[in-house]
Amino acid sequence: MNEKHEDKLISDAKRLTTRISPERDLWPDIATAIAQPSRSRWTPMLAQAAAVILLVGASSGVTYLAVNDDAPPGEVITLDRLFQQASFGGLHNLGPDFQDARSNLASKLDQELLRLSPEVRAGVEENLQVIRDAITEINGALELEPNNALLQKILLKTYHEELRVMRDVGALTQSVMSRNDI
Amino acid sequence: MNKLALSLIGCLLFSVANARDVNESQAADAKGHVTIFNMAGSVDVEGWSRKVVEVTGSLGDDVEEFVFDRDGDEIEIKVKVPDRHRRRSDITSELTIRVPKGSSIEIATISADIEVAGVQGEQELQAVSGDIVTESYSADASAGSVSGDIDIQGDGKNADTELASVSGDITAENLAGSVAAESVSGDVVIADGSFDRARLETVNGDIVYQSALRKDGKLHVETVNGSVDIDFSGDVSARFDIDTFNGDIENCFGPEAQRTSRYAPGWELSFTEGTGEGRVVISTLNGDLTICK
Repeated sequence: MNEKHEDKLISDAKRLTTRISPERDLWPDIATAIAQPSRSRWTPMLAQAAAVILLVGASSGVTYLAVNDDAPPGEVITLDRLFQQASFGGLHNLGPDFQDARSNLASKLDQELLRLSPEVRAGVEENLQVIRDAITEINGALELEPNNALLQKILLKTYHEELRVMRDVGALTQSVMSRNDI
Repeated sequence: MNKLALSLIGCLLFSVANARDVNESQAADAKGHVTIFNMAGSVDVEGWSRKVVEVTGSLGDDVEEFVFDRDGDEIEIKVKVPDRHRRRSDITSELTIRVPKGSSIEIATISADIEVAGVQGEQELQAVSGDIVTESYSADASAGSVSGDIDIQGDGKNADTELASVSGDITAENLAGSVAAESVSGDVVIADGSFDRARLETVNGDIVYQSALRKDGKLHVETVNGSVDIDFSGDVSARFDIDTFNGDIENCFGPEAQRTSRYAPGWELSFTEGTGEGRVVISTLNGDLTICK
């Protein structure tokens, strides 16, 4: 469905004209603007400096929250806290809805896994750990580059993959097991 | 003591007497729907030219009931086991099932392997820990497994194929149309195909794409730690956007990859090949990429 929608968007975009002429001659206004005395060059520089300070402050704050919690030394960081920290860069803020969905899926999966053999159960848990290790690794990279779009994309995809595995394994087990009920 | 020994012998004889072969058949629609459930053992399905569904094989000692029902154009085959006896040794059932070749099939197992040949209708195959091996014939197919491998062989005609595993490897050969394959730690290999759409995703598994990408085709590849090996069959005309945070890019065509930053290990490669109707998007975190044709 998304691919079809994307196809349509691309198709529509291709039909858009690539050159638009202004409805009137804009040059006189531009010439007037150029002739006027410019504002102090310090104004934009100060604004930029302030922006940099804010950016560094925000980035450091997020990083601090991620790596330096209130936990005393040696305390284990729970998985939920790990996930709550994953909102670097501002593009993808994983809010409480995500946490709720994830908790629900995890709870259902735990119930379904009890119906499987210890070997299969261990395999699923091992692979979920693979995903969680990847999330930790991506978050570590994002600490260094909070606004890296590739990292954010892969992080989001990896979160999605964890949800997919929890959803699919739970649904598959439930679906298969329910067929034994005649 | 003697009573105990006699009881044990009695139980053993009862158990042996309970073990049974199955050999049943009934008329079916040429394009009907067959659902099959078997908890453990194996399910081999073969398409044939008769309008009959035939089940042969053996049922495990502790199988509670064997169901073989028809309702209109639907046929249901189930091996029912008691809830308290799910040990593989007691319920293992080996089934060979022949169905009209135009049938659509739906198979679910826990630890039973699934093998399908010569079935031309749609397929929906699910196994928790069993392997899945199938052939598809220009009909949509989906296969899902947790730890089992998935191996699908197409006939080169268009169909939608969806494959998903957790740790099992996925191999798809000679498919066409669209394919979506995803795995956590299993490898994904798509070979000898020709696609309008291909979406391949893993976390740690390697991805190999040795197929054609059609005009206006789209190939999306994403992995965290797996390597990516793309080898296009024939010409490709597409816009390429390739990005890796910590891997290397090796390409046999197009310009050289560029560093994303002087201070970071990432590489990116964007270019247009041919007239660029298609789209190729590849992203990795640590995985190395190779792109050739």
